[in-house]
Amino acid sequence: MLAFIIRRLISTVLVMGLVGVFIFLLLHLSPGDPAAIIAGDNATPAQIAAIRNSLGLDDPLHLQFARWAVRVLNGDLGISIFSNVPVATLIGQRLWPTVSLAFTTIVLAVTLALAAGVLAAWKAGSLIDRLVMILSVVGFSLPVFVVGYLLIYVFAISLRWLPVQGYSPMSDGFWAWASHLILPSLALGLAYVALIARITRTAMLDVLAEDYMRTARAKGVATGPMLLKHALKNAGVPIVTVIGIGVALLIGGVVITETVFNLPGIGRLVVDAISKRDYPIIQGVILLFSGVYVIINLMVDLSYTLLDPRIRY
Amino acid sequence: MTRRATTSRRTFLKAGLAAGAAIAAPARLTAQPAPSAAKTIRAVMHGDLTVLDPIWTTANMTAYHGAMLYDTLFGIDANLETKPQMVSKWGASDDSKTWTFELRDGLKFSDGTALTSDDVIASLKRWAARDGAGQHMMQRVSDIAKKDDKTFQFILKEPYGYLVDALGKTSTPLCYIMRKKEAETNPMEKITAYVGSGPFLFNEAETRQGARYVYDRNPNYVPRSEPASGLAGGKVAKVDRVIFENMADSQTALAALQAGEIDFYETPPIDLIEQLESDKNLTLEVLNKTGNIGWLRMNFLHPPFNNVDARRAMLYLLNQEDFMKATFGNPKYYHKCGSNFGCGVPMENDANTQWFKEAPNPAKAKAYLEKSGYKGEPILLLQATNIDFMRNAADLVAGALRSIGATVEVASSDWGGVVNRRAVKAAPDQGGWNLFITWADGAAVSNPIALAGHAATGDKAWFGWPSDAKNEELRDKWATAGSVADKQAIARELQENAWNFVPHVWLGQWVQPTARRKNLVGMLPVPGVVPFWNAEKT
Repeated sequence: MLAFIIRRLISTVLVMGLVGVFIFLLLHLSPGDPAAIIAGDNATPAQIAAIRNSLGLDDPLHLQFARWAVRVLNGDLGISIFSNVPVATLIGQRLWPTVSLAFTTIVLAVTLALAAGVLAAWKAGSLIDRLVMILSVVGFSLPVFVVGYLLIYVFAISLRWLPVQGYSPMSDGFWAWASHLILPSLALGLAYVALIARITRTAMLDVLAEDYMRTARAKGVATGPMLLKHALKNAGVPIVTVIGIGVALLIGGVVITETVFNLPGIGRLVVDAISKRDYPIIQGVILLFSGVYVIINLMVDLSYTLLDPRIRY
Repeated sequence: MTRRATTSRRTFLKAGLAAGAAIAAPARLTAQPAPSAAKTIRAVMHGDLTVLDPIWTTANMTAYHGAMLYDTLFGIDANLETKPQMVSKWGASDDSKTWTFELRDGLKFSDGTALTSDDVIASLKRWAARDGAGQHMMQRVSDIAKKDDKTFQFILKEPYGYLVDALGKTSTPLCYIMRKKEAETNPMEKITAYVGSGPFLFNEAETRQGARYVYDRNPNYVPRSEPASGLAGGKVAKVDRVIFENMADSQTALAALQAGEIDFYETPPIDLIEQLESDKNLTLEVLNKTGNIGWLRMNFLHPPFNNVDARRAMLYLLNQEDFMKATFGNPKYYHKCGSNFGCGVPMENDANTQWFKEAPNPAKAKAYLEKSGYKGEPILLLQATNIDFMRNAADLVAGALRSIGATVEVASSDWGGVVNRRAVKAAPDQGGWNLFITWADGAAVSNPIALAGHAATGDKAWFGWPSDAKNEELRDKWATAGSVADKQAIARELQENAWNFVPHVWLGQWVQPTARRKNLVGMLPVPGVVPFWNAEKT
């Protein structure tokens, strides 16, 4: 197991290195000139050229890459071309809204989806089952921004129960923090509720049809423990896999959610940086994302051994 | 017997609380007492503030930021007249070659240090190295000399009537006065400390780059005694804090305004204006009366637009009404304008505007295009698809050209792609271009010197690289003219000449209504920046 973890951690570094090279080349070979964007629309070509020179953007590509790579290996993600703020500082400032959103969304999605999926499987073929499946299709079909605007209209503008936008750190109080995350988490989590609920239902139906479940019922095990302790645990591997994929996909989903609900998170940081061609930010954030992806996959793989002792690495 | 590791509810709760504390910690460490909501204005502006050095870039958001924390020697008032701001007295020698300026008493930076002529001279030199009008001015300046801590002089090689107007112009970059130590930064590098003598100071601790920018009232600011008017008069900060919230989504910004979470929204989408007008808690007002002007640039380096007849064809071909209607819809907020200096400004005139009275005249446009020797070669039009006006206008230009038999290739990208490609001087089939669309601030367009796009200096000119010696002679003449009447007469000559050699085509002028909560009062109408001094919440 330890060897497996070490191997995977080494592969994480390799993956991040490859992602770094790929992103660097992709950014620098695609059209777009940060110097022209910085200079503004009224700047002359000579002024733009001077800015390009001062930023080192007219150096040969391999030189620019070497400079960046050496800095990254020294733990320095560089400085934003536009704001002069270190990329690590910018990521640090934006990390908590994104972590908060991802955390509340996953908690909400897993809680609702497991309950709905188990219920649907238990009452397979009933009205409840059909209702859960219909809601799953709706959850899948509605884009995040549509759900977001609907939630804003109903709960923030009409009812005035929750704020439209923004983020409050927990130091402003738990309710201030939570109230700013309820609507974004609902909007973002709906698709994940649908996904996880469907997989939970399918996995549970398979397990509920197993002989040992019939035996458990015959021995008089109560419904609750039977569903949660015997069935859900044995249905766990596909569910955890989907949750893992969901967490990884969440990184893409937070971009739209952060925009609609004006959350100052990592997603908006990278989208803004792409539109401005702020290369150090884009490279830094994508390196971070690639690391997070690999670690999530590692955690999912490790969780299999807890859910199913037959799995060994 | 081995004990299995389990997670009890209590352990889970403890872990949850610890995670919560960790999430809260960074904010707790930086938390400071904030002014009350009644003394705080939350505003959503037209974009993000990406660069904090207002001399280094011409970006409008950076000019707004500059207007909050820096002051200017002169400023234009609500009537677009240049008035003294940091200056108390000034005057020229009999030969108009030596100009002496005296600063107002008690001027201080927000850090409490006194503002002196040394700061002013260093700031002037750095600004002039970056600004088109500043460079034009410095060609006539032999020295800027300190007389004493409050007095400095411009020693000129020749009389230069535009001097005071250049120092107070609103087109970017404005001539903001900084501390000497920042002003001595290489003009090609950005400053890293932001301390000014303006009505607000920049609160960097509370600012989150890309999310919100915080300005607190500057206790050391010394306002003029006259009432505030435009960028002139007493810039009295009546609130303790102004926050520029960066909201990328216009629907969210509107919802936040309606819910009272923000007080001011600079650029509500025009198609939602009716919805806002019906909200009794909101006020709509056009603050920048000169607005913006749509702009088609033609590349003078390559056929067909290296021929004046092809450029003339564009004047006759395009109907400004189409461009305005396509993006702005409501005629209340746009109008057609044939003046090369925009409409509603002192330099507006109707010299040589027969084309404007006739356009659109596709038959005449086709005849001019044929006369230019155009034989159906592809015309490459750059289109920025992520900006409504630019996307719609490019579609209309392409359609109009195709309607008279031209072949048009549209190169679509985001605006970042367009700004990259428009700098390429190579032929269109080798990475260059023939046409691109942008817009310019109306106040800047009204000034033949301040707007880089008015220059026709060939290789050194703005993108499109127009070349016309007479244009340059007349611009110089305009800059040295003394009175407004003289300038207006020269502006007529400039326009007469411009619509003969056709440096560009304007696509219509529009204004942007701002939206704000009714309890936010005292917002001043100013071209170029949005001022938050004089504003307060009732």
